[in-house]
Amino acid sequence: MSRPNKILFFILPWASYFLVFWLYPLSYSFYLSLTDFQLLRGSGDFIGSSNYSRLLGDPVFMTSLANTFYFVFGTIPVTTIAALILALLIAENVPGHRIFQAAYFIPSITAMVVIALIFYNLYSRDGYIHTLFRLAGLKPPANGFLQSEKTALWAIMGMDIWVAIGYYVLIFLAGIKAIPTELLEAARVDGAGFVRRSLSITIPLLKSTFAFVIVLNTIRSFQIFVEIFVMTSGRPFNSTLTTVYFVFDKGITRGDIGYASAAAYILFLIIMVFSLLQFKLINVRKTMT
Amino acid sequence: MKRLAKWITSLFLTVVLLIMVFPMLYMALLSFQAPGTFAVDLNNLGWTLQNYSVVFKSNNFGRYFFNSIFVAMTVTLGNILLCAMVGYGLSRGPSRITWPIFISAVAMLMIPAHVLILPIFQMMLKFGWFDTYYALIVPWLISPLGIFLMKQYVDGLPRDLEDAARVDGAGELSIFFRVVMPLCKPALAVLGVQTFLTTWNSFLFPKILVNSNEMYTLPVGLALMQDPRSSDWPVTMAGSVVASVPVIIFFLIFQRRITEGITAGALKQ
Repeated sequence: MSRPNKILFFILPWASYFLVFWLYPLSYSFYLSLTDFQLLRGSGDFIGSSNYSRLLGDPVFMTSLANTFYFVFGTIPVTTIAALILALLIAENVPGHRIFQAAYFIPSITAMVVIALIFYNLYSRDGYIHTLFRLAGLKPPANGFLQSEKTALWAIMGMDIWVAIGYYVLIFLAGIKAIPTELLEAARVDGAGFVRRSLSITIPLLKSTFAFVIVLNTIRSFQIFVEIFVMTSGRPFNSTLTTVYFVFDKGITRGDIGYASAAAYILFLIIMVFSLLQFKLINVRKTMT
Repeated sequence: MKRLAKWITSLFLTVVLLIMVFPMLYMALLSFQAPGTFAVDLNNLGWTLQNYSVVFKSNNFGRYFFNSIFVAMTVTLGNILLCAMVGYGLSRGPSRITWPIFISAVAMLMIPAHVLILPIFQMMLKFGWFDTYYALIVPWLISPLGIFLMKQYVDGLPRDLEDAARVDGAGELSIFFRVVMPLCKPALAVLGVQTFLTTWNSFLFPKILVNSNEMYTLPVGLALMQDPRSSDWPVTMAGSVVASVPVIIFFLIFQRRITEGITAGALKQ
């Protein structure tokens, strides 16, 4: 065998994984979405696109989509801006900057289940956050934040921002470190203060980091599940029902695999559209600068 | 920044730090309180280890711990070996073949894995792997991110050593194991730490791919031993400490490697 062919042997593991665990599930999932496959029956018949039309008329599914969008667009701007500001401040080499960087990252390496359990306690009636709101005269919902449809989703969003910030601080810091130091030094010599330097040099040069952070966070946030599973199961009144939870509940818990697959596929398409759109925006920006 | 401004900034960042660390400290503190406590009472702190012994005696918790370690270790070793192989092959093979395959891996980075729960669940049922270690391990032995990292890393390695070994008559496999793998150590460390963390913390797939109590990993076991309305919080928190503190210590030790792993992806962009 010639050498290049021997080298191809090394690629075989991925080639087989790609086919078996990525391409096949992706297409099989689409096929399932066109059937009325039931877990208990173990089979299903081809029913064309009726799962899709049924979904579009299903208010529960629509609620799950709305909640997911709410979650994604409510958290990402806050997380991004907060992480950026923290990273800019840490990059000034203030006393203790290494400790800050490490400590902010701890939530990101902790299992989401653990975090959700802790916050379940803090958000409950007489939990610490609940008490804090009461002492501040803010009238939190009597039974706890997660028990009221007005506050449950907000509470989960707040927790998610808290979890995610440290991770994006790290990515922004990497972006800031990649900026040529001469640029920032020159500005410093010219007497530009922290705000001026950040606004006119650092932030404009972080464009691709921004894009990376937003794409990453969008793909991640659209898939929110664990928080919902542990904290609310989608309650109260579906106010925290997200699409992946909908897929899990319909598909795994109730065994309506065909219907749930269609829901998963719609979510998949939405995420793809957003990712591609964001990539397109990045490219446009790149040609502009 | 001026010195005073630096200290004020530091003070602000310390306040943020307290907010970031507080829930973790709260978890630890609550795990030492008397059974049945709901919220830590700062005027009446308890220091009992009772909850930890309850945790380890009940609910197969030791088994969950073993499962988590076994699965995370195996998946990590698999990724280290297989991603290095594939990365090496993609880097050294003829590009008309390797390029489309590399693109297939990069494209999979964009696929939200959670939308694949149903087909993978179905596949595991069909393979007869449902509720076994196979389901928890086999599908995750190679990751697109790992391939991406390793290919980029091997691209940066000189080929001279490989060529020298080849001239000496070494076979392709021994070149890979004796020459390439040792050179890849820094990248493999990054990949290993990343994979271990992700696998240790993962929840949705372990939740759906096994259903008997002895097969649960720590996160799944924790989530299911917790019925919020009736649960014993100090015990739940003791379980949470066991599931998270080893990882946090591991992080503090390997902090640089973990940080590199995350920023490598960002900078390559």
